[in-house]
Amino acid sequence: MSQPTNQPKWTALLAKHETVLLAVILVEILLFQNLGRNFLAGSNVSNIFRHSVEIGLLALVMTPVILTGGIDLSLGSMMGLCAVVFGLLVKQYDVSPWLAAVAAISLGAFGGMGNAFLITRMNLPPLIVTLGTFSLFRGLAEALTKGSEAYSGFPQGFLNLGNANVLGLPAQLWVFFLVTLLVWLLVHRTVWGRSLQAIGFAPQGARYAGISVERNTGMAYILAGAIAGLAAVILVARLGEARANVGIGYELLAITAVVLGGTSIFGGSGSISGTLLGFVAIAILNNGLSRITAHQIFDQPVSSVSRELSGMLTGMLLLLALAAGVLLKSLATRRARRQSLVTTTNPTPST
Amino acid sequence: MKKYSREWSVAAAFGLLMLSLLIVAPHFFQWQPLLSRVTSQMPAMVVALGVALVIISRQIDISIGAQFSMCAVIAGLVAASGLPLGVAIVAAIAAGALMGALNGLLVAYLGLPSIVVTLATMVTWQEALRLWQQGRLLNLPEGIQWFGQSQAQGQAIVIGATALLLILLAWVMKNIAAGRAIYAVGSDAEAARLAGINPQRTTFGVFVSMGVLAALAAVMNLVQSPQIQPSCGDGMELKAIAAAVVGGIAIRGGRGTLWGVLPGLFLLANVNPALTHFHQPPYWEKAIQGLVIILAVVADGWNQKKQSNNG
Repeated sequence: MSQPTNQPKWTALLAKHETVLLAVILVEILLFQNLGRNFLAGSNVSNIFRHSVEIGLLALVMTPVILTGGIDLSLGSMMGLCAVVFGLLVKQYDVSPWLAAVAAISLGAFGGMGNAFLITRMNLPPLIVTLGTFSLFRGLAEALTKGSEAYSGFPQGFLNLGNANVLGLPAQLWVFFLVTLLVWLLVHRTVWGRSLQAIGFAPQGARYAGISVERNTGMAYILAGAIAGLAAVILVARLGEARANVGIGYELLAITAVVLGGTSIFGGSGSISGTLLGFVAIAILNNGLSRITAHQIFDQPVSSVSRELSGMLTGMLLLLALAAGVLLKSLATRRARRQSLVTTTNPTPST
Repeated sequence: MKKYSREWSVAAAFGLLMLSLLIVAPHFFQWQPLLSRVTSQMPAMVVALGVALVIISRQIDISIGAQFSMCAVIAGLVAASGLPLGVAIVAAIAAGALMGALNGLLVAYLGLPSIVVTLATMVTWQEALRLWQQGRLLNLPEGIQWFGQSQAQGQAIVIGATALLLILLAWVMKNIAAGRAIYAVGSDAEAARLAGINPQRTTFGVFVSMGVLAALAAVMNLVQSPQIQPSCGDGMELKAIAAAVVGGIAIRGGRGTLWGVLPGLFLLANVNPALTHFHQPPYWEKAIQGLVIILAVVADGWNQKKQSNNG
């Protein structure tokens, strides 16, 4: 967002969302480095990202969806469905894992197309459509596995995607870099990406400006579905197992990362770099909490506490980020109004 | 009749399902199991009534499952500590009202979108509860089950109380200014404001009512078994929202009657028993429920289009 130009530069920088987020991440790192053991060790840093790449992928593609003023609650369920179909293809029909991965990504895109059709062509609210497909996709995954079956025993070459290192970094991180670059280019360097912000800002206005609102919005949901399929494949490679409950709650973590990253939940403004920072903040929070030794907070085995605690803190973090966003904005508009009052009463500006 | 065609068509679908069950599996209608099934759906019914109010005011609340669990555990703990059931109920209602008030504050007065706010509060309450209770089953003292009455009396109380709530709320929504204000705010908040309604206060009130209804539902659930699970409300939000939407509450707000929620809920709640009685695998339940929600929304979209074309 444009800051008032007559402010000194450093306050503008300080008020910027990314700067605040960087500070939060630094505080997190310092805190966990002091509390936990070996937090900044190289092995742990790559561990943080190995275990959260899937959330990062969802957050990346959730950003264009939220930019249009929409939301996609079905992405976690989509991961479950894609994972199950992937496992089914590989184990029951002896399809090669790489071909099955392509099928899973296509299935994700197809599911996203279903969302896009209902939202843009039938003109239905994204929230309730994706709530319906949230239930539908997960239900199909459960039906395909008869409620309890799981597929495992994938070839080692495929499992390496989730567990091996390539050039010193987790293999899936390279995929993540690639997708990041792709989504960043799409959102910030193409006409399509710019049009999403226009659509989110004012859909009618975008239509009058000659933007194909339906098609461009629909593309965001299709992209989201496809990448959810990719995230499912990576998650299966890491776990070595495909079951129907894969990815439960991931859509929430993704939305949290996007909102933390400063993308307006009402649509119209936001950035991929912000989403990345929001994602890093969440990933570090989850990992850091899991490394704090038990006796330091509770007299309980920490493994059972850290997950709930980090979940709870993620929820509270999201609430705080939302409230702070609104309060800062109203503060800024009030200040801007006061300044415009000053300039109108005093015709010679004192800059 | 024409005005309520949406509600009647859902009721007809439910009637058709019952009729086919009557032919294929008449033992579905044995009195005792039927009564137990109906009673076990009453908490969901009360939650669905609450979320219908929320949706009519053009908001959404997906933290209601977590609120339900939290209220159930609080009421259970109070009852387990030896205090009378009345105190437990009051504690649950207070907790529900507080949680609803937090949602209401953030949505109505800070202007934040309800979907994200309640997503965040849902996770916060859910995980706080897990952290606190560690998934332990909570044993309830004697005299709590069925309010200390016989099972038949207890079931009558639960069903009667739900019916009373439905009648009362439907009447308030139709005839009382506060109820009409909810419709007005849901149709057009700005127009409502110009007409002298305070939209922020209305929205806040709706969220608090939602919390109170979730608490009442939790109590109705509590008295049905000798134990209480901290995860008892998981998935309740989806079930309730689906019941409301299928029952003809328009997701864009401002339209729908609470009476429609009744066939909506019963239609969805009977998917699972119907699958069993038709000898079909039960794991299709979630997929079918998802499909029913989408169908209902698509039908609403079509109706709206037709109306705007006619008008």
